[in-house]
Amino acid sequence: MNLQFASLLIALPLISAFFVPVIKTISRKAVMPFLVIITAVQTGIAAWVFEEVYTGGKPIIIMAGGFKPPVGINLYIGHFAALFVLIIAVAGFFMAVFSMKSIGVEPKDKYAMLFLLLMLGATGMISTGDIFNLFVFMEITAISAYALTAYNKTGEASEGAMKYIVLGGIGSSFFLVGIALIYGSLGTLNMAQIAQLAGNINPTVAQAALALLVFGLAVEAELFPLNAWAPDAYQAAPHPVTAMFSAFVVKAGLYAMVRIIYLLRDTQAFTGILRLVLILGTITVVIGELSALRQTNVKRMFAYSSIAQVGFMAVGFSLGTQAGASAGVFHMVNHAIVKALMFLAVGYVALELGGTSIEDFKGLGKKMPLTAFAITVGAISIIGIPMFNVFWSKIQLILAALKVGKTGVIALILGASLVEAVYYIRLIHTMWFESANGEKVKENFTLGVIMLLLVALIIVIGVFPNAAWNIAQKAAADLYNVSQYIKNVPLLPGVSP
Amino acid sequence: MVMKRALAILTILLIGYWIALALSHVPFGADKMLVGQYYLNHVKAQTGAVNAVTAVVVNYRGFDTLGEVTVLFIASTGVAALLWRKKRKRTAKTEGSVVLTTGSRLLFPFIVLFGGYIFIHGHLTPGGGFPGGATIATAFLMLYLAFSVYEIPHKGFEITEGLAGMGYVTVGLIGLAIGSYFLFDWIWQSWGWGHSNIGRLFSAGFIPVIYTIIGIKVGTELSGIVDSMVKEGGE
Repeated sequence: MNLQFASLLIALPLISAFFVPVIKTISRKAVMPFLVIITAVQTGIAAWVFEEVYTGGKPIIIMAGGFKPPVGINLYIGHFAALFVLIIAVAGFFMAVFSMKSIGVEPKDKYAMLFLLLMLGATGMISTGDIFNLFVFMEITAISAYALTAYNKTGEASEGAMKYIVLGGIGSSFFLVGIALIYGSLGTLNMAQIAQLAGNINPTVAQAALALLVFGLAVEAELFPLNAWAPDAYQAAPHPVTAMFSAFVVKAGLYAMVRIIYLLRDTQAFTGILRLVLILGTITVVIGELSALRQTNVKRMFAYSSIAQVGFMAVGFSLGTQAGASAGVFHMVNHAIVKALMFLAVGYVALELGGTSIEDFKGLGKKMPLTAFAITVGAISIIGIPMFNVFWSKIQLILAALKVGKTGVIALILGASLVEAVYYIRLIHTMWFESANGEKVKENFTLGVIMLLLVALIIVIGVFPNAAWNIAQKAAADLYNVSQYIKNVPLLPGVSP
Repeated sequence: MVMKRALAILTILLIGYWIALALSHVPFGADKMLVGQYYLNHVKAQTGAVNAVTAVVVNYRGFDTLGEVTVLFIASTGVAALLWRKKRKRTAKTEGSVVLTTGSRLLFPFIVLFGGYIFIHGHLTPGGGFPGGATIATAFLMLYLAFSVYEIPHKGFEITEGLAGMGYVTVGLIGLAIGSYFLFDWIWQSWGWGHSNIGRLFSAGFIPVIYTIIGIKVGTELSGIVDSMVKEGGE
């Protein structure tokens, strides 16, 4: 089969989003089922692409318009992109199913369009091979995320979205200026060619460009000090959207940041910028965990916890070794599974019991045993208890830090896990051992199946981590091994200095 | 307070100096662009457009343009989603003056015609789908200003917008089917239409097709945004 068909990953959500207004005029009720079907098909395509890349061992290079890079724009679906495109599609599918139940606010047709375009944007960010195209996809992701944040049209939602828009706008302009500096120095936008020529950039320019790009992407990647929007937006956004933010939108931002930093490895600013990311990541972890400790709203607590986990990933990537990158990618995968599960469960609780404050979780083990069980497994996993998936990525982070002799990082991970244990065990205690009045809720079958699937995944990876660890290592090698990346992109001969 | 402000100003000055320093090392204006000469040498043979900028926008970097169209689509969808009310109506109190209403009526067809002209001739003259569509939206904005009860037929506009977007992706998918690349210019490169016509209207492969689609899409989209913002919701 022609591998260029992988461009359907971009074309399908796009054409489907455009088709929604037509569907709406035929039948309003068909909009949400349509969303579920499209995300299911997208999952199928993503699974095919994943299979092709991981069995063939070679990245799929999609050349838009048939022009070879750097003349045209190319997509680079390597091991990393194939893995995360699949994660995006699966998470999107689960959340589309959840949306059928949880989205009551009109206009649902607009919700479905924005939902598909958010998926499209994240897919594009992860698979593009052109730095300006990355900017375009980042805008697509960010703008649909702003609109979805404010979708519930409450005061809180508007406030969260407003903060997000302001910070996101600043971030985008930083990012654009950073691109301009690189383009002005090298004369190319193709990411492989930028990596090839990176040694020619003036050190001061490289420093400024990288700093601008890192700060620009720090908004989407939720790194301190540009993550002030995240807790508000996470709390106020519709529940499926929050889950998607945590499962893949933030990861797309972090991926873009790491990819660009690694591509510019040959510049003198490389080690300095890694140190900057290490510092930002560390502060993100500390502030995230300490804020989570104080929350009385469970959804907000999970939001802070999610931010702190992203800090871990940033710290892993900032070690600058292959082991660190592998640990970072592994943690990304594990965190995507766990947080998709937990935000799904919290959203479902809010739907049935009317809120997400800690009061609503009293006696949840009796009222909604399956949901409480799902949250418990997720919480235990995030803390880093053995036999659950996050344990292994935390161990790998610690091993990677040990190899480069950064004992501070090890202390950070252990300390943060301790804080996590405090607030998650408090939540588990509230759910199972505090009594509250209220009827037992009849739990939804489909959502129960989805939660159990995710729980099973957490435990399977926890007990047999090798398969997932191998995949994560391959994905990280795709990210870390820049010379291979350059070789994989068929640059047009004659178009170079 | 004063200290805080002084500190902020100092930080900004430092960052500004640093960025200015970086900018001074970028050889702006020097002939650095690697692909520029390639575009100029091959644009006619590969795309048939005499306006090389258009060829870059629609052919070589068509993926970005598809993305930009999507960004605009999201903006219009987002505005419509956030300002959504069950019943919305216009609340303008004063009717436009005679000069305004008569002038608008007279000018409306000419503005639309001009917008159409801009996007149809995108491959020949400066302009294209985005400015052409914006021009058309201006005509509708003018009607909103002149008549206190005027409304666009939004159902129709919304569907047109969606169909235009689907049209763009479909053109790209036909390229995938015929030329085995997404957004491949099948009209020019596979069918070879208009090769003897370079510099005239019927040339440049799918550029006029895509620009017409973009023009219609941008026109309906911006008019829709105006409509969403002008009307106020009743309870």
